[in-house]
Parts: sequence; C-alpha cells; structure tokens
Amino acid sequence: MLTADTMRDLYDDVVTARYYEERLQEEYLEGKQPAFDISAGPIPGELHLAAGHEAAGAGVCAHLRDDDTVTAPHRPHHVAIAKGVDLEKMTAEIFGRETGLCSGKGGHMHLYDPDVNFACSGIIAQGCPPAVGAGLAAKKRNTDAVAVSYLGEGAIDQGGFFESLNFAAVHDLPVVFVVEDNDWAISMPQERVTDVENAADRAGGFDLPGERVEFDDVCAVYEAAEDAVGRARSGNGPTLLSVQVHRRMGHFMGDAEAYRPDEDVERAQNLDCIPRLEDDLRQAGVSDDELMEIREAAEQRVDDAIEWAKDQPEPAPEATYEDVFSNPPQGRPMAAEQGGDE
Amino acid sequence: MTDVDPASVWPEDADDVDEAVVANWFVRDGASVEEGETVAEIQIEKVSVDVPAPASGTIARLVEESGEFRRGDAIARID
Amino acid sequence: MSQQASEREVTMSRAMVDAIATEMRENDEVFYMGEDVADYGGIFDSTQGLLDEFGHDRVMDVPISETAYIGAATGAAMEGMRPIAELMFTDFLGVCFDQIYNAMAKHTYMSGGQVSVPMVLTTAVGGTYNDAAQHSQTLYGTFAHLPGMKVVVPSNARDAKGLMHAAIRDDDPVVYMFHKRLMGLGWMPAPEGPKTAVPEEDYEVPIGEAEVKREGADVSIVTLGLHVHRALAAAETLADDGVDAEVIDLRSLVPLDREAILDSVRKTGRLVVVDEDYHSFGLTGEISALATERAWDDLEAPPERVASPDVPIPYSRPLEQEFLADSEDIADAANRVTE
Repeated sequence: MLTADTMRDLYDDVVTARYYEERLQEEYLEGKQPAFDISAGPIPGELHLAAGHEAAGAGVCAHLRDDDTVTAPHRPHHVAIAKGVDLEKMTAEIFGRETGLCSGKGGHMHLYDPDVNFACSGIIAQGCPPAVGAGLAAKKRNTDAVAVSYLGEGAIDQGGFFESLNFAAVHDLPVVFVVEDNDWAISMPQERVTDVENAADRAGGFDLPGERVEFDDVCAVYEAAEDAVGRARSGNGPTLLSVQVHRRMGHFMGDAEAYRPDEDVERAQNLDCIPRLEDDLRQAGVSDDELMEIREAAEQRVDDAIEWAKDQPEPAPEATYEDVFSNPPQGRPMAAEQGGDE
Repeated sequence: MTDVDPASVWPEDADDVDEAVVANWFVRDGASVEEGETVAEIQIEKVSVDVPAPASGTIARLVEESGEFRRGDAIARID
Repeated sequence: MSQQASEREVTMSRAMVDAIATEMRENDEVFYMGEDVADYGGIFDSTQGLLDEFGHDRVMDVPISETAYIGAATGAAMEGMRPIAELMFTDFLGVCFDQIYNAMAKHTYMSGGQVSVPMVLTTAVGGTYNDAAQHSQTLYGTFAHLPGMKVVVPSNARDAKGLMHAAIRDDDPVVYMFHKRLMGLGWMPAPEGPKTAVPEEDYEVPIGEAEVKREGADVSIVTLGLHVHRALAAAETLADDGVDAEVIDLRSLVPLDREAILDSVRKTGRLVVVDEDYHSFGLTGEISALATERAWDDLEAPPERVASPDVPIPYSRPLEQEFLADSEDIADAANRVTE
C-alpha cells in the first residue's frame, strides 16, 4: 500500500489531467455544431484526448525528475501534466497562441518543454529512438538520469520500436518503454493487427524485462514503474512496461467510433482509474472533503490556464519564417523570393 | 409531391440531436431522381449518413449545401 | 449520359471508391491494404463502403507497420497481384521510404525489365486544417523526383475515378495522391469544384495528360490538386482586372505533360507555377526550368513561382495561412508577370 501522501500526489495528477481533457473537449467542440467541422472553433487542428489514460501518466512520471526525459505520442496531455510541463504555456500552444510552449508552431501533437525534458510527436513510435538517445547520453555522461518512451499498443508493430528495444537492451541503457494499451489503434482492435495480447511479451525477444499492469490502477502502475525506473536509474538496463488503459473520448475529437461495439464503449466508461484511486485514498484515511479540495484546486488551475491561454495573442504571420534553424543563415532564411518579405 | 425527410435515416447515436447539416448534395436542383437513389449526405454532429430519394420524380432542393436544418424538416421535395 | 452528367455529382472520395470497387469486382487479384481502411472506411473516406462488399480478406486493416505492408504490397505485385496500399498521411512515408523508393520504384529497372510492380500507393496529402508539420505536407516533389514511380494527383471527382482505373490497370507502381480538402468530407468541407459529374461506366484518365481547365491568352497558371481550384478562383479575379489567365491542371507529375505546359506558355508568353509543396528543389523549379529551356524565345517575363516557403508547416491558424498560397497570392503573381 502506498502512503497517503504519495496517493494524494497521484490523485492530484489524474484529476488535473481528466478535468483538463474535459475542458479541452468543451472548448474544441465550440463552433463545431451542429456539424463537426475540423477547421471551426477556438482550437486548431486535430485533438487526441487522453481521458482514461491518466494512470499511465501519473503512475510512471511520479518517479521522474526534471532531468529525466519523456517522449510521448500524439495523445500527450496527461503525460505532460504528470511530467510537470508548464500548464499555461501548454494550453496556449494547444490554442495556437504566440506565448505557447512552441510559439504556436507545434500544436497539441508537438509539445516541447525542455525545462522538464518533455517532447511528443504525431508519428507512431517516433519517440522510441530519441528516448534511447537520451538514455545513451545519460550513460555516456555518467549521470543517473533515465528516459521514458510512451507509446500506444498499436505502436508495438512499428519497426522503430523493435529497433529501439534492441539498441537499448544491447547497451543496457536507462530507458523505460511504457505501452499505453487502450485496445484500439484508431478503428483497429488489437487482435486484428497484432498476434500478441500482452505488449510486454515483446520484451522476451530482446532479453529485457517485460511487465504488465492488467488494470488501469494508478497505484499498481506506480509500483511497477518504481521497479522499472529504479532498474534504469541504477544501471540495470531497460524495461518494457505495458499498462492497460481505456479510451474514453474516441481516437480524436470528431471520431464517431461507429466501428466500436457499444459494450466496449461502456466498458471503457466503467473501468475508470479515478474512483479506484479514491477508494484506495479513503482506505488510507483521506476524507472525501480532502479529495474534493484536491479536485477543486486542480479544476481551478485548469480553468485558470485555459482562461489565460485564450487571452494570449495569436502569432504574427511573419513568425512563420522564424525558427527553421537555431543558427539561421543571415537572418530570415530564403523568405524574400518566397513571398515572405513582400 | 413527396418530402425528402432525413428523419428515416437519422442515426441511433444521434437520437438526442435535432440539428444537422447537408454535407453534400449529389443531384442538382431540378434533377430527375429515382426512388432509392442517394441524393444527399447529411451530417449530424460527427456522423454522416446518406439520404435516399423516397420517390421518383423531379427534385427541388430546400436546403443549400452546407446549410443547416432541423430534424423533421424536409431538405427537398420530389414532384 | 449527358443528362446524367448535368444532374448528378459525386464527391472525389466516392468517385475514387467507385473505381476501386469496379476493379475489385472484375479482378480477384485487386485488394486494398491500409490502416483503418476496413471498418472505418478510411480516415478520409478513401475506402468507404468497400468492406461491406468485399470483406476483411480484400479490404485489409494492417498493423501500424508501413515498412511491412507497403513492402508486402510490392512483393505481392511482383507476384502479379494488383494490390493497393494506403499510406494514411503522406508525411508517414518517413517510416517506410526505403520500401518505396529503394524497392517499389526500382525493381523494374534493376531487374533489367524482367520484373514489374503493378501496385497503387494511395496517400492523403495537404494542409488547410492546422494539422501542423507532421500531417499536412504534400511532398509531390519528393515522390516525383525519384525515378520509377508514376505519380498522379486528381483535383476533382471525374479525374479521381479515371486516374484510379488507370492506376490499378497500369503495370507500374503508381502513387495516387489525394488532397484531403478535396474529398468532400462532411467534417472538412471542400471548396467549389472537386465535386463533379462522373460517368457511371468505367473509363481511364490517361496518366501523363494534363488538362486545360480554363483557356486564356495572357498568362499560364500551371498547378495541381487543391490549388487548381484556387487558381481558377484567381483567374476569375484576374478577368475582372482584364487579365485573361489560362489554368492548367497537371493531374500527373510522372510522366509530366511537358507539351501541354509548353503549348500554353508559347501561347501566353507568361508563366506562373503554383504548388502546395515546398518552394526549393521541387515542382515550381522544374516547370520554370522547362519553360526557360524550351520556350525561352516565347517568354515575355521570367516565370513566377508560388509555393510553400521552405519551413516546416506551422500549427497556428495565422501561420498556416501565411504558409499556404491562396488565390490572392496566385493573382498577385499573375499580375506581376503581366505588368
């Protein structure tokens, strides 16, 4: 049993992340009624919300320091929150604002916060090799930093994942691969595309430990990750951890999930890590009033961040031509002949 | 004269929704259509469904493309 | 036929699916593989309805393993089957490019012509909906640059169907690049133009034939995909200002209809090339070079290039708007060359 303090911190993370996604959903759908139009409303582009994935974010990142690296996939917000990414700047980025984490250039799938070594990407399994690289850097520099690469269960069929497992294993690198298994790769159920039910079994072929957390139970994830991160930090090499989570809001906003059986949608709503963690907290003597206080404080933080973000200015069009290089050749590169300077 | 009323193809998932949009017309105004032929695609929130002609005849469009309508409204008439 | 042509219109996605379904009905060796192409019907409706008729054996959802399934399509094609493989977003070619350009595109040549690869690689291209740097590229130039692949880019339903028939029947690998904004999706409304009348019977739009979409005497605007519609809109504005623009829809990049471009440039003496792909080392440079090499004496002004700047595609709306050329940018360029 985890201490009450540990569980309070985890609870803070998961309720913040859940409320964040609920609020973003509201904001995103504004202006997209009655028919869903991806180009309408205050939030640009696609939006992949992570409601139902919180256990994997909080349970693993609780063991990480700012100097540990995390790479997340296209469904990144819960991991970012657990890793300590600046909530206001992240929100401003999602709204495409100038003061966003990435000056409005990256967007919700491409959030970078170097202060806490966080990055994410829109391409499946793309984050695995860079996490291996972060582990390699830690090993070469003799630090005890670790790297965590998050990926979905759909990503375990991608070549970059296999190659990363092998590379990390053969060099005993301090990397933890965390598979967030929500059973669905957009519309493709796991059994149609993968002959492996338990993603952690993939570890066997690479001679590294593979562990599975069967329920999206925050405390169980915390304990499994404690071992995995501990192994990495103490120089004992990589681990593949698979965590069962559930997709509560479709693959992306606008996904009607016509392919998904009603029972499965219902199951995802019922198998919720939050009430489970609340039960654990109550057993540890934490009162309902205290839980409500934590929730309300989290909600206030999220509301404040969204309000702040929406007040921020949009970037000026000229910013399009900046940031292509860290060391730009003679100022604004190649803009004149391309319409940028006219 | 027959109304083209998409209520008959309203998806179960959108039972509680009353507003929709004609996402695509597949026949020009004044075209002759045959019963059962798909004449339009409507979108209700995130769900798209095809609307068949309930009768044969000449179609008069009542809702423009990308235009909104409410459940129960006819989107066209067939004479 | 003529009545039908005037009264019925289909979206580009439906026209594309119509051709695929016809080919699958007529030839058991045609099958479709991709991510979310079965139960979902393609994220951009590229396979909508095919599962119902053909089942999971012929409309196959595949693991997220682009290297494996695109390579497998190549292998099945070398066995004589006619696979269609879909790369969900063209940006994802980054994970599987070896199978495309070192394998699919080269087997015929490397084997001294003994082997053919009769497959189609379909892929969604384009921006306009703020999907940022990893989901909005067109990459026309990348595919067209590497020898061994035919490359087609339909701009409307009629061409989408005819090019798909031609692509599936072709004995070479054909990359079929469809623009998301043109498909007629309810959640991403198309501009005026891509939805057209489409003959019910099957027909081919020959790969390698451009089409003059609008005849004009003063300037040739050469483009493809979404920007055909933006160029036609620009031509309307230009007409109001007394500039008579000709608009050419390339439809194919490989082979490129050089004669159609040169005929037009020789007639108008002025050229604007419009591309949604990056500015440098791509389509606009290629076609400008063609005109200066082969129609120099007829050119009355240097060609103008309207393309995306050499920066990754930004997310925020004002930035993407700055990045993508609109009809105003095209009209401005046409005005510059006709001044």
